[in-house]
Amino acid sequence: MASAQPGALVRSLALRRPELLPPVLVLAGAVALVLSMRVVNPRFGSPEQIAAILVTSIFLVVAAFGQGLAILLGGIDLSIGVVMSIGGMMITGLTRGSNDALLWAAPATLLCCAAIGVLNGVGIALLQIPPFITTLAVGTVSFGVALGLTAGSSQQSVAPALQELMSGKFHGLPYPILMTLCFLVLATVVQGQTAEGRKLYALGSSPAAARIVGLPIASLTIAAYAVSALCAGGSGLLLAGYSSSATLDMGDPFLMPTIAAVVIGGARVTGGRGSYLGTFAGAIFLSTLATVITALSLSQGWRNVIQGGIILAALILQSNRWRSWKR
Amino acid sequence: MLPVRLGFVGEEGEAEEGGRRSLPSSGATLAALLCLVMYGVYVLKEPSAFSAIGLANLLDNTVVLALAAIGLTLVILSAELDLSSVGVIAITNSIVATVSTRYPGGVLLSLALACLVGLAVGVVNGTLVTYLGLQSLACTLGTMIACQGIALLILSAPGGEVAEPIMNGLTGSVLGVVPVAGVILILGAVAWSLFRRTRLGIALYAVGTDEVAARLSGIEGGRTKAFAFAAAGVIYGLAGFMLSAETGTGDPRVSGSFLLYVFASVAIGGTSLAGGRGGVLGSLAGACILTVMQKMLFALGVAEFYTNIFNGLIMIAAILIGRLAPALARWSARRAAPGSSALAAGGADRG
Amino acid sequence: MILTSRAMVLAWICGALAAQPTFAQEKRAKVYLNMTYSGNTWQAAAANGIKALAATPPYDKQIEFSTVISGTEVQKQISDLQSMIAAGAKAIIMYPLSPTALNRVVKQGCDKGVLMFTYDSTVTEPCAYNVSNITARYGANTAQWIVNQLGGKGQIIFNHGVAGTSVTKTYDEQAYHIFKKYPGIKIVGDFFGNWNDATSQEEVSRILAAHPDVDGIWTVDGTYGSLQAVMKNRPERLVVIAGQSNNGYRLLLADPAMQAKGLRGISSSAGPAVGGYGFKVMMELLLKKTKLTAHNIEYPLPWVEGKDVKICEGESFVGGCNAFPESKAPALFIDTALDGTHLPELTLAAVQSGTPAPGATIQPLPPVKYAENLPGVNCQKCKQPADWLEPNMVTPIPVPK
Repeated sequence: MASAQPGALVRSLALRRPELLPPVLVLAGAVALVLSMRVVNPRFGSPEQIAAILVTSIFLVVAAFGQGLAILLGGIDLSIGVVMSIGGMMITGLTRGSNDALLWAAPATLLCCAAIGVLNGVGIALLQIPPFITTLAVGTVSFGVALGLTAGSSQQSVAPALQELMSGKFHGLPYPILMTLCFLVLATVVQGQTAEGRKLYALGSSPAAARIVGLPIASLTIAAYAVSALCAGGSGLLLAGYSSSATLDMGDPFLMPTIAAVVIGGARVTGGRGSYLGTFAGAIFLSTLATVITALSLSQGWRNVIQGGIILAALILQSNRWRSWKR
Repeated sequence: MLPVRLGFVGEEGEAEEGGRRSLPSSGATLAALLCLVMYGVYVLKEPSAFSAIGLANLLDNTVVLALAAIGLTLVILSAELDLSSVGVIAITNSIVATVSTRYPGGVLLSLALACLVGLAVGVVNGTLVTYLGLQSLACTLGTMIACQGIALLILSAPGGEVAEPIMNGLTGSVLGVVPVAGVILILGAVAWSLFRRTRLGIALYAVGTDEVAARLSGIEGGRTKAFAFAAAGVIYGLAGFMLSAETGTGDPRVSGSFLLYVFASVAIGGTSLAGGRGGVLGSLAGACILTVMQKMLFALGVAEFYTNIFNGLIMIAAILIGRLAPALARWSARRAAPGSSALAAGGADRG
Repeated sequence: MILTSRAMVLAWICGALAAQPTFAQEKRAKVYLNMTYSGNTWQAAAANGIKALAATPPYDKQIEFSTVISGTEVQKQISDLQSMIAAGAKAIIMYPLSPTALNRVVKQGCDKGVLMFTYDSTVTEPCAYNVSNITARYGANTAQWIVNQLGGKGQIIFNHGVAGTSVTKTYDEQAYHIFKKYPGIKIVGDFFGNWNDATSQEEVSRILAAHPDVDGIWTVDGTYGSLQAVMKNRPERLVVIAGQSNNGYRLLLADPAMQAKGLRGISSSAGPAVGGYGFKVMMELLLKKTKLTAHNIEYPLPWVEGKDVKICEGESFVGGCNAFPESKAPALFIDTALDGTHLPELTLAAVQSGTPAPGATIQPLPPVKYAENLPGVNCQKCKQPADWLEPNMVTPIPVPK
């Protein structure tokens, strides 16, 4: 029977490579969304639109990696929105519309953002303050400092090279799509295949066991949150390049989606489970969902109801209990 | 027979040593103390605040946050998270603003609807988490977004009208002396003190501390968590009802920063975000801290540049001070009876 | 007992903090600026304009001016307003988070004799003074302008502002009313740009990919981002567009190369200068230099087309100039933060930093224009004019057959 085949495929995948199941399901969900929209509007899902979706997903793709690391440790990073904005504001303020300063401004910006992450890590690992409060407080303080120093918006444009990066094409393929693919490979390897990544999984699954085994918990935690802030800063750089300048609230719309992308991708909020492939699939799914919802042309109320409903559906379809019922 | 003495502590942490109760050294108490200190500073700089009107205003500003924090505490104690409070508040606020003046008996009708809507959302959350096994952070994020949408469908822009009895009644005072908001908070505290000694209350702590051990003692985790979500939903509905009374109007928008304040209230009050420890009294103190902090910073003339910075630093300081509670308990226990220190330290550590 | 002694230490520290020396203050009126949203170009420019004016002679010697940022939670704004009133404010100019939720505290202020002013966003409490151009029919005027430019036929992308606000509801209703009159006008995509340029750019590029023949874009803000999306994805054919007054946007409108590719736009929308204007009106009322017969004041709607753009040579809007060269101001800088007619004291540096230009003094205001009623927006028990959905700055073209 035709309908049994996808079921059998899912089952065999679940048995042999269970960690690939959530990303596959979620990406399948994204494809399903696009296909269902094509019924309504045949021009939906054209290569140009898919390209547009992929280009605009890069910010979420990069920032969600950092959130994924925090959640992998059983924590959360609520400062991502603020750090993104700070990254964008810094690179814009340092480059001031010309490429001269870009070479040192970009690393300086990223370093500064990573420092905010170190603050998060220190608060969580050394002061033992819950990640929710630490990242919230550090984010609030950072926002306050940045607001006082800049009054809220950049006074210049960002370096033209950065703008070119976000709008240019390499043999017809937009640079952001290429960067997304490279980042996908890099991040999957770093999280899943390197020794440090495996240590993070161990720490997230069982802090007690990690302590017994002698893992350097404090430095791992600090490193994870530093990388999270680094990614947020990098995403902010890209966003500044995309929109040519920066404001201090430009990162805010991205915080909740990073959390949603990570958990839709199959990560456990208690830590220890989840792969970047899942986060990536979650980010793509959310971008596609946003495009579909826009295309439906409904009032904002209905858009939110549908968005919430589909997120719940995505979670239900990948939950263990649902899959066990389907068998 | 419910085995109460399985070591599921985590209540407001009174340390008992050989029958003699030492002073409560819990996170909740320290939070309440910090709140009083901050209030003291505020009154020192702004003497007019220490008046009936000043106190009434303060309580009115706190009550919505406090109610939401009470609801969230129940869920967090059971080791789950709940982001849907702001969604429920938006819906109930919109309902009260559209229903309370339009129909006869609108006041009671809108109150009933507020509780029903909160209950419905709570039941949905509870079902998704306990019977479909979804993670609470993700699923309540989804319900919050959906609730945001429903609120916009009920009320497309701020407006509507809240009936006079609600608006003036709930912001007035009982017997002309005690503000209604204060009465509500006291009722909440009393209700909690009674509840946490019931089977269900103890079950909540048990499930939050160690779900497996709880099941082995005959406590059903799923039902307890479902109850927590449902009760939280009803309380959020009441919070939205109070918001309508405080503002006299409806607003369909959901405030992201309010959600973070609710979580901050709970955490500052000493409740562990991992479950099993803390309680509602601490969350009430936490909500008070956040409200008084704003007044205190204004009275101290803290320049706008520093407001955000102080907000963040005080949140961290409050947690650190609350962390002193177990350390203090251990310290005082060791001072009191060096011989039995190990036993007392171990027991008080959980509180 | 360690507990009480620790508490005592805490109390002592706080007491030391609290016991600051108080300087002898002259009898200056306490005036507050109450901000809510922060961290974006518009709000920063509006606040800086107000701060610069407050520090300009003679106001700098007449008032004791402070700024309070309440954040985006309405109960916090209520709490801060109560604090300001209790601290003895004589006048408060605020950006209200809700047209109705603050009415009670605003009334408390009025009852104590405090002048309660709002800028851009309004409240429905009758004793408050609202200074805004929300009654200037932006939605109807810009929609009609787009229709006229397109000859009554074409595909439109609709960029909503933040949902659930009265300004979005008002402008959307007006714009849709106009677009519906012309059967040749089709709205092929609409999204909620939330007044954000990055979001608008992302969304327009996605919609453009599915509807490559779009002719026009209607926005309230996020205009520059919306236009960027077209310039990057369909540079050979640009659009008819209505929206904000970002400097980069105005420069593009005036650029003959862009016009040759079909760019036609109207630069309008709410300008940050409304804050400074509201502040000056409030100050004139406070210092008894003027009397107001009504409480709702309309700030004129900016209205600049490509041909009207005039580049300034100096630092302020003099001689009718209304934009800055690219080297002087960033693309997102909102030109309507300056106002040559009502706020000649403000310069580019003043709205970017909040410090007044050296040598500037406060100039008198021209007579105010009072606003029409918009129930639920600036008044409670009132009726709006019968034609509130119709344009009053643009003459409609007839519907094409």
